[in-house]
Amino acid sequence: MFQSTPTLLAQGGSGNAVLITFLIYIIAVFVIAGLSNKLLQSRNFLSEYFLGSRGLGVWAFALTLAATSSSGGSFMGFPSKIYSHGWILALWIGSYMVVPICVMGLLGKRINQVARTSGAITIPDVLRDRFNNVSFGLISVALIIFFMTFNLVAQFKAGSEILRTLLGPIDAFNSMVDSMPDWFSSLSSQTSDYLFCLVVFGIAVIVYTTYGGFHAVVWTDVMQGIVMVVGVLIMLPLAINQATSAIGDKDSEKTGMALVTEEMSEMLPPRFGTATLSISSPLTQSTAIPPGTWIWSKLEDGTNSRLFKTRKRYVLEKDSPKVEQAEVLEIISAADIKRASESLIASQNSNSPHLMGIVATDAITEKYVYGADKPGAYVTAPGPHRTSPDGFLPLSLAISFFFMWAISGSGQPSNMVRLMAFKDTVTLRRSIFTVALYYSAIYFPLVIIFCCARILVPGMESEPDRIMPQIAVVLTENIGMGWLAGLLIAAPFAAVMSTVDSFLLMISSALVRDIYQRNINEAATEAKIKKLSYFFTLIVGLGALVGAMYPPEFLQDIIVYTGSGLAAAFLAPVVYALYWPRSNYQGCIAAMLGGFGTHLAMYFVGFINGDGFSPYRLMGTDPIIVGLVASFVIGFVMTLGTPPPDERVVRKYFYKKVEG
Amino acid sequence: MDSDQGQVQREDAQQYELDPTFVNSRREAIVVFFCWFVAMCWAVPYCYFNGYNITNPADMPTTFGCPSWIIWGIAAPWIAADLFTTWFCFCFMKDDELGIAGDEEHLMANGEDVE
Repeated sequence: MFQSTPTLLAQGGSGNAVLITFLIYIIAVFVIAGLSNKLLQSRNFLSEYFLGSRGLGVWAFALTLAATSSSGGSFMGFPSKIYSHGWILALWIGSYMVVPICVMGLLGKRINQVARTSGAITIPDVLRDRFNNVSFGLISVALIIFFMTFNLVAQFKAGSEILRTLLGPIDAFNSMVDSMPDWFSSLSSQTSDYLFCLVVFGIAVIVYTTYGGFHAVVWTDVMQGIVMVVGVLIMLPLAINQATSAIGDKDSEKTGMALVTEEMSEMLPPRFGTATLSISSPLTQSTAIPPGTWIWSKLEDGTNSRLFKTRKRYVLEKDSPKVEQAEVLEIISAADIKRASESLIASQNSNSPHLMGIVATDAITEKYVYGADKPGAYVTAPGPHRTSPDGFLPLSLAISFFFMWAISGSGQPSNMVRLMAFKDTVTLRRSIFTVALYYSAIYFPLVIIFCCARILVPGMESEPDRIMPQIAVVLTENIGMGWLAGLLIAAPFAAVMSTVDSFLLMISSALVRDIYQRNINEAATEAKIKKLSYFFTLIVGLGALVGAMYPPEFLQDIIVYTGSGLAAAFLAPVVYALYWPRSNYQGCIAAMLGGFGTHLAMYFVGFINGDGFSPYRLMGTDPIIVGLVASFVIGFVMTLGTPPPDERVVRKYFYKKVEG
Repeated sequence: MDSDQGQVQREDAQQYELDPTFVNSRREAIVVFFCWFVAMCWAVPYCYFNGYNITNPADMPTTFGCPSWIIWGIAAPWIAADLFTTWFCFCFMKDDELGIAGDEEHLMANGEDVE
């Protein structure tokens, strides 16, 4: 009644709703790109294409910044973590309470002023002009291209994965993928459905970004931002209400969310392992077992004993109906088993009777290293963890994350560019307030929703990234409004799109403005710049798309590395450039390279220690903290050890002529 | 020579003053950093002392249905941060002149409001 397997999702009416929503969404972004392109015809092309003519109003500025910061992680990775680790995620995301005021208030007014004073359109432009130093501009361009290119490939992959997760259960989508010719599949190291989603996602985002430029990106961000918050606000009451109902006739005085928390306090983490899947009755044809299928192991008398969920797709061949070493997840909590078995009877009896005779034998499963057999792990800190003996969020990491979201968010060039685009300080003030309310309406409610999801959809640790679309379908189908799932499911897709388009524009602006126009051909005509901007945006996008066809290993780690690396390299020099009249290019270049190098060194030491792409954590802290401290200290020392800057430059950016 | 240069600097000092937009931005940035620091000093230690090492989760107190350590360690400072942000935006932050970039001049001349 309360839980749907992927097979049920595939056959439900919500599949069509998802598809229709997706198509409406794509049409909408193309319309927006068309409207944005009209603006380009009447304004200074470069300023309009890359910076929206510095004229963003409150809603556009607030929502583009909020949507760009909320990448796919907010609507796929974050829900998945809440589901897997429980209430501790409220502390993990806690610093979002000050992210709006930090990201926009720390640098916003000043960077906007300096960019206007110098006529800068990009961050390298700001640094180059502020210090009147070409080398500084080129170093920052090189770092932006280095980090952003890796990140763009990773984001393209994330976009494809999200689309695949959303569309995967839809029959029409699977038929389309199956009908793809062999040469198409051979283009990628991944599966055909991944490639198909990558191409659809990639072409959509490349076309509307290339054609519409900054305003297309901003307006789609606004639409995406609205979709996200509406989705969350609809899901919140539904989740609490349905989770309470799902717990049912529990002998407890508690009601509502208190009942959900009490139920969570009794939960035990699942176990991961392998089992042999087989069927006793003969098969007339080969039978596919989709990922997420519930399977019992039986006692000798035929009664059910342990309940497993498959983690991948397996096929029982007609001649040999047995799969050995199948990856499974075993749920342990008695209440979870009860709810899952009820839904198993309700769903698989009617939809997948051929799966009912399959049993699991020879199961070998492993307990969580932290939190196993310990009721309460999901409602207390540091939260359960499968492999770490310190749990999900030990104190050192809690401090690191409080530092990371707020402070390193301020150091992201993609955020800084947006800070250069608002119209006036009234817009800035109102936008900080708007984003603060926006984040409050999204992040804490998400924690509540996906804690409720633990009750509503047990065993989703088998495919945690699917929890967002899954819960959207369950919540809406339980109230007989399956079509609404389409809107809710659009949120994560919107989030990743808004991140990708911003990164795409950042790289092409670095190539056209910072390298070509400012170093190769300063006298380039507007027509030439226009052609090059379209060309480079297209080429960078296609390059990232091709790169994502053969995605490198450690992709998620690369996203984390590039995000924190950019902050370690850019925050200190930008802060010094904006707020310290004594700062000079020598000190700021040293701060940039020092932050970059120190952060990289943490990863290098981790690699030497045999931890792969996992960084070395000095005193348990994240490399971003070490990198930022090093960057600020090196920049400060180097500045004081080198001559002061040219008096005229200081006057231009820090002083004002006294009238009269 | 040195005295000439000093003379020029003294004259310059009389003609120029620190840009008020810079002064206000710097003052606001310091307050923002202080806000982040206070938020961290509230949330992390509170959660550490009340949310870690709970011996009997079954008896764990709840507030509004959520674990109390989450409400007082995260939700309460979150509301306080929102109130602070409101005060910061509407009472503390100054409206300053940001200047006009070269690429904006033709928009201003045409009387266009961009957004």
